[in-house]
Amino acid sequence: MTDRYPGYDVLAKRDSPSWNEQTRQVIDERLAVRADSHRFFTDEEWPTIVAVCARIIPQPQQPDQPVPLAAMVDLKLFENSGDGYRDSRLPCLREAWRRALRALDAESHKAGRVRFHQLPVAGQDDLLQAVQDGRSNDPAWGDMPPPVFFSKRLLHDIVSAYYSHPRAWNEIGFGGPAAPRGYVRMDFDRHDPWEAAEARPGLEEQARRHNARIR
Amino acid sequence: MKERALTRPHADAARQLNLSSALLALSVLTDSGVEHYRGSFQNRVMYVPLGVAALTLGAGVFGMAQPRLRRHAARDSIYAVAAATGAAGFLFHAYNISKRPGGMSWLNLFYAAPIGAPIALTLAGLLGKGAEVARGHSIGRLAAAVSAVGLAGTAAEAALMHFRGAYHNPAMALPVSVPPVAATLLGAAVCAPGPRIGRLARWWLKFTALLGFAGVGFHAYGVSRNMGGWRNWSQNVLNGPPLPAPPSFTGLAIAGLAALRLMDEEAHTDRGVRR
Repeated sequence: MTDRYPGYDVLAKRDSPSWNEQTRQVIDERLAVRADSHRFFTDEEWPTIVAVCARIIPQPQQPDQPVPLAAMVDLKLFENSGDGYRDSRLPCLREAWRRALRALDAESHKAGRVRFHQLPVAGQDDLLQAVQDGRSNDPAWGDMPPPVFFSKRLLHDIVSAYYSHPRAWNEIGFGGPAAPRGYVRMDFDRHDPWEAAEARPGLEEQARRHNARIR
Repeated sequence: MKERALTRPHADAARQLNLSSALLALSVLTDSGVEHYRGSFQNRVMYVPLGVAALTLGAGVFGMAQPRLRRHAARDSIYAVAAATGAAGFLFHAYNISKRPGGMSWLNLFYAAPIGAPIALTLAGLLGKGAEVARGHSIGRLAAAVSAVGLAGTAAEAALMHFRGAYHNPAMALPVSVPPVAATLLGAAVCAPGPRIGRLARWWLKFTALLGFAGVGFHAYGVSRNMGGWRNWSQNVLNGPPLPAPPSFTGLAIAGLAALRLMDEEAHTDRGVRR
């Protein structure tokens, strides 16, 4: 994947007027999440959620420092911090995930007598596709409709975990938390100097220079 | 208008008009500098008021400092250019507002290019022009009228912007109440000159001049109240109340005071001539 915001590092704003103590604290906590830490998922469930995350958001662009997706989902579940709303067809947060991981393993056992994470990558994709399309019907799902779990829980939790991480912000040129410094130039296609510059074709160096100066 | 010999107080009053023009120009220079920087100088024309206001400021300082009181061709033309630039700026800002979705709506009057701001440059030009013409002609009443209209207009702009700010601080009512009184008294002094109305107008004009300075302090406090305060200045100076705006009241009040002095001197010498 090409680097659309070359040289942009949102963490360079850490000690600038862009962030205050509260912001630094929140982001530091987020960055301190270790990739193998799991306090909600059991050792049994852990490889399954790791494999699911790797299929939903593969991270070939940052092979040495992937965003610790499974650990972030685990943290959300450990703290049981819901979203303040939920699709009534799904059980509550923790129960939904537990049941879904059990169902995924049960389905992959039916397909190849292995656990989900032991399936080849293509097999994992097929199984997730079946969940999304409503073709997965193992009794382990109970009364929870698999497609609803897929779109309203699985995608929601994994994708929001990914895009809450500063390394994902660098990738999409997001300015990060606007506290206390927000934005002043609000019109279409106007940018504040503390926003990332997109590398338009032919102007990559210019964008890199701008991004190196952002504080 | 016939040429006349200049008395010392008359010359001082003419220089005071140069001062008022310079103060207005300084306000325009800094205000348009900050606001057009915020607008990223999207249109090249946005540089023009900076150059013209800087020239006007220079002309005013030169006019105040010059020992011999003579009209000066360069100053004269700079002031004319300033007046014309302000008028053109008004049209540009009106165009900016009208091309936005909703056109001349309250929202656009609040958040698009400020409709009244460029007029300050026109006023700086007119008052500077007045300072030049006063070097030889009787223009006291005209200068007073221009100051009165300018004060009223500036108060109207403050009313619009402070309404946008919901008058959240009671002090925000001051610039929409004091300058209109000063403008009215000054207007009365133009229509029916007299020592009593003149004295009254002077007091209110002095109060207005003071208010212009105090306004910078109030606006600095407003900036500090935004999230992050002064440490977050790169956002809050742009986002908070404009620091350079209030001194335009001071400039116009000083012009009003100078105009009253001119009127007094002109009346005095006219009486002397008759005697």
